[in-house]
Amino acid sequence: MTTTRSGERLVPPKAGTDAGALRLDRLTKTFASKSGAVTAVDDVTLDVRPGEFITLLGPSGCGKTTTLRIVAGFETATSGHILLDGTSIDRTPPQRRTMAMVFQSYALFPHLSVGENIAYGLKLRRHDHDDVRTAMQIALTSMNLVGLENRFPHELSGGQQQRVALARALIMQPTVLLFDEPLSNLDAKLRGAMRAEIRRIQRRLGITSLYVTHDQDEAMSMSDRIVVMNKGRVEQVATPAEIYFRPATIFVADFIGRANFVEVVPEQVTDGAALVNALGERLRVAAHPAVRANSPAYLMIRPETISLQPAGDAGIGAVLRSTFHGHSVDYEVETISGTLHVTEAGPDPDALIDVGTNVAITLRPDRSYVLNGSWTGPDRTAPTD
Amino acid sequence: MTMLVPPPPAPVETAPSNRPRRRSRDVGVTVALVASVLLVAVGSVVPLTAMLSTALSGSALPRYAQFVTSSTDLAILRNTLVLGLLVGACGTAIGFLFAFVQTRLAVPGKRILHVVALLPIVSPPFAVATAAIVLYGRQGAVTHGLLGVEYDIYGLDGLVLVLSLSLFPVAYLGMLGMMRGLDPAMEEAAMNMGASRWQIFRTVQLPLLAPGLAAPFLLLFVEGIADLANPLALGGDYTVLASRAYLAVTGEYDTTSAAVYSLILLVPSVALFLAQRYWLGRKIRTTITGKPSGTVHLITGWARWPILALAVFVSLIVVSLYGTVLLGSLTRVFGVDNTLTLQHFREVVLGAGREALRDTTLLAAVATPVAGLFGLLIAWLVTRRLRRAAGWLDFAGTLGVAVPGTVLGIGYLLAYRPDRYVGDLLVLPGLVGGTAIAGGSLAIVLAYITRSVPAGLRTGGAALTQLDPGLEEASMNLGAGSVRTFRRVVVPLIRPALLTGLSYSFARSMTSISTVILLVTPNTKIITSQILSAANTGRYGVAFAYCTVLTAVVLAGFGLIRLLIGGAVVLHRTAAPTGRTPR
Repeated sequence: MTTTRSGERLVPPKAGTDAGALRLDRLTKTFASKSGAVTAVDDVTLDVRPGEFITLLGPSGCGKTTTLRIVAGFETATSGHILLDGTSIDRTPPQRRTMAMVFQSYALFPHLSVGENIAYGLKLRRHDHDDVRTAMQIALTSMNLVGLENRFPHELSGGQQQRVALARALIMQPTVLLFDEPLSNLDAKLRGAMRAEIRRIQRRLGITSLYVTHDQDEAMSMSDRIVVMNKGRVEQVATPAEIYFRPATIFVADFIGRANFVEVVPEQVTDGAALVNALGERLRVAAHPAVRANSPAYLMIRPETISLQPAGDAGIGAVLRSTFHGHSVDYEVETISGTLHVTEAGPDPDALIDVGTNVAITLRPDRSYVLNGSWTGPDRTAPTD
Repeated sequence: MTMLVPPPPAPVETAPSNRPRRRSRDVGVTVALVASVLLVAVGSVVPLTAMLSTALSGSALPRYAQFVTSSTDLAILRNTLVLGLLVGACGTAIGFLFAFVQTRLAVPGKRILHVVALLPIVSPPFAVATAAIVLYGRQGAVTHGLLGVEYDIYGLDGLVLVLSLSLFPVAYLGMLGMMRGLDPAMEEAAMNMGASRWQIFRTVQLPLLAPGLAAPFLLLFVEGIADLANPLALGGDYTVLASRAYLAVTGEYDTTSAAVYSLILLVPSVALFLAQRYWLGRKIRTTITGKPSGTVHLITGWARWPILALAVFVSLIVVSLYGTVLLGSLTRVFGVDNTLTLQHFREVVLGAGREALRDTTLLAAVATPVAGLFGLLIAWLVTRRLRRAAGWLDFAGTLGVAVPGTVLGIGYLLAYRPDRYVGDLLVLPGLVGGTAIAGGSLAIVLAYITRSVPAGLRTGGAALTQLDPGLEEASMNLGAGSVRTFRRVVVPLIRPALLTGLSYSFARSMTSISTVILLVTPNTKIITSQILSAANTGRYGVAFAYCTVLTAVVLAGFGLIRLLIGGAVVLHRTAAPTGRTPR
C-alpha cells in the first residue's frame, strides 16, 4: 500500500559509497538533577559499518534517545567521542553534521507546504532553484507523494506525514540517517508497511542508519544489528537472531520475547556447551562463554520451544492456567522448578489441554541457552515509553 | 503522570463527541441559568440597550452628521485609532521581546525580568501616568533634572509610553505560553538541516508565532482605545473618544452626545474584541502529531547581549516608574523636596482618604466572590450544559470587558439613574446619583461584578475544557444532581482557575476607574477617583500614597483569597481523558 514505483533512485549515490563509518567511543552523558547527577549514557562504545542499519533498543529511560541526540549534536557528551569516517565530530555543531534525522513527532513545519518542507534544507544552502525543484520532484516521486506537494502537513494522514519527514531527511543526502522512534505515532498496520519501506530505501541507498525504538518487533524485523541498552549501558550488540537465541544477559533474554529461567548448576562446560540437569532430564545446551562448571547459572527456555503431552500420573507438571488466543494457546505449568510458560502455536482444536491436567514436558536443548547473572523474577519492567 | 494544571498551552484537539451528551436538565441548572442570565442582563445588556437607544434616538441622529463634518470630532476619532494602533504595536513588541528573552536566551537574571514584566498587572490607574509626569515630564526629575531637556510628555507620545508599559504584561504572558508551546523538535529539525540561529528564527519561529501576535495586538488595541484614566491624566490636548464621552457627561451634562461618542467608540472596540476572540479560537497548529520532544537550545552567541540590553532598558523604565510611586508617597515633593515624610499616608489612611479606602475595599470584597462564582458558573453552563444558547451567554458574559468602561458607565447612567415607575408604582428606584439607594453603591458593586465576570469566565472555561467530562458524568451516574456535581466535583478540580479568577476580580474591582468614575456619589467615595483628583490638582505625593495603599490592599486580598481557596494544588490524572472534549 505504501510501495513506491520501483526502479528510480531517490538521490544519486555519492562517490565512494563506503562513507558513513560511525564510531561512538566511550560515550558518557550525565545530567544534573535535583537528586544528584543522573547518568543517562554510561560508557557506550559502538562501531557502525558504512551502510549498516543499527537499532538502539531498550526500555524507556535506557539512554537510547540521548545517545542518538548526542550523535545528532543536540546534546553534548560529558565524555567520550564520536567519529565519522575516522574524524572526530565532537565539536561540529548540529547544523554542520552531515546527518539527517527523522523525529518522533516528525517535526514537519506546519506553516510550510509539503514541497517547501522537503526543499527546506536545500534552499538554506542556496542551491540553484532548478536543482532544488528537480531534487524535490525525485524525492516526491520515490516517496509516493506526487500530487501532495502543495498540501500542508495537517492535511496529510499520519503515514503521509511520515513519508514527508523521510523525504525531507533523504534529500539532504546525509552520510548517516538518524531515526528517533519514527513509527510510534502510526497505527499497527501502517507501522508494518513503513518498516518495510524504510528498510528498502535504506538498503537501496546504502546509508548508514541509527534507529531508536522501544519496540522489539520493530528492532528485530529491520536491523542488521541490535544494540540492547539498559540503564545507560550496552547489554549486547548482535544480530537479531543472536540476540534472540544467544542473549548475553538475563536482561536481554527477558526483554526480547518471553523466556523461562530455570536455575541450574552445570556439571561440565565444554566446547561452548554445558551439561545441565533440568526438569528431570540431563541436557546438553549451548552456553554463554562466562558460564562455568559447578557454579549457578540459568537455563533459558523460550515458551514456544516447549511442548506438552497429557501424561496422567507420569507427568512432571500440572497445567495451572490456560489462555486461548486463537493463533496460539498459552499454558502456565507448575513444575518442581517453578512455573513454566508454554506457548503452543497453531493449536490443535481437539487437543487443547484442560486446567489441572498432568503433563509431560519436552524441551528443545538446541533452542535453549545457559547464561549467568541474576534473575529477579518475572516482574520485569514493562518496555513502554 | 500528567499535571492537570497549568493547562498545556498547545491547542487541544477537539474530537466530536461520539455519543450524545446527557441532556437532563434539573432544577439546579435552571436556577443557575436564570441567575446567570439575570446578572448578565442587568449588568451589561440593559445598560448597553439604554445607551444604544439614546444614541440611536431621533434627537441623536443629527449629531452623527455633525460628527462627520466636524474636524474636531474627526480628529478625536483619528486620535483614538492611532493611539490603539501604537499601543497595540508597542505593547506586543515589548511583550514579544520579554518572552523571547525568557524562553530563548541563555542569560542571567531572567527571573528578575519576569517579575518586572508582571509588575504592571497590579498597577492602579494613574500610578504609571503620574510617575511618568514626575520623572519624564516638563519638570521631570530625569528629563529636566538629569538631562536638562524641555520635554512635553502630555499627548500621544506619553500616552503610548504609559499604556504600552501598563498593558504589555498581557501580551508577554500570552507569548510566553506560545513560545514554550512550540515543539523544540521543530527547531532541531531546522538545525539538523543546516539552518543557522538567525535562519531558524526567520524561517521557523517567526512564521509559527506570527499568527499568535495578532491576538495580543488586538487585545491591546481594544484596551488602548477604551482607556480613560491615562487620557485624563496625561492626554493634554490629545483627546480620545473615551475622554470626550466622559467630558460630555461630567462637563456638559449632555448624555445624548455622550451616547453618540460611546456608540462610535463601541463599534471598533467590540469588532476588534471579537476579531481577537476569533484569532484565539482558531486552531493554530504548532505541532502536527505526537508529543513535543527535544530540548530548547538557548542562544549563547553574542547576539543575546543587545537583545538583553533592550529588555533591561525597558525594565529600568518600568522599575523607575514604580520606584517613583513608592518613593513619591514617602517624600514631601519627589524630586524637589526629598525629605522623608508620612504625611501623604496619614492623609490617605487617617484623613480624607479613609472613607474612600473603606468603601472601595468593602464594595470590591462584596463583588469579588459574586463575580468569581458567576464567572465559573457561566463557564460551566457554556461548556457543559448549553448547546445553541452557549455562544450567546458566553458573548453576553464577556461584554463586561469587550465594552469600554466609559461606555458601560454611560449606559448605567442612562439605565439606572431615573426612578422607574409602572403607572404610579415605583418599581425600581434610581441606582445611580446622589439620591440613589445605598448611596449608589449598588450600581458600583454591579459594575465591579460585570467588569470582573469575564476574567472568571475565561480562566474557568479554559480549565473546564481541560477537564474530562467523564468525571462529571461519573458523578451524575452515581446519582448526584447537577448542582452537587458542580459543587463537589467541578469546583474542587478547577480550584486553581477559581483562585486566578477571584484574584483577578478583586484586583480589577479595586483598580477599576472608567466605569465607576461616572457612578461615584458624595456618599460613596472610590479610591481611584480620589487618585484622579489628587493627580489633577498636582498633589502627586497624595496620589502616590493612594496608589501604594491600593496596591497593598490588592496584594493583601490576593493573600486572603489564596488562604481561603487553598494555594497551589497539584492534581494528577489517574488516566488519560477519553478522546473527546466538550463542545
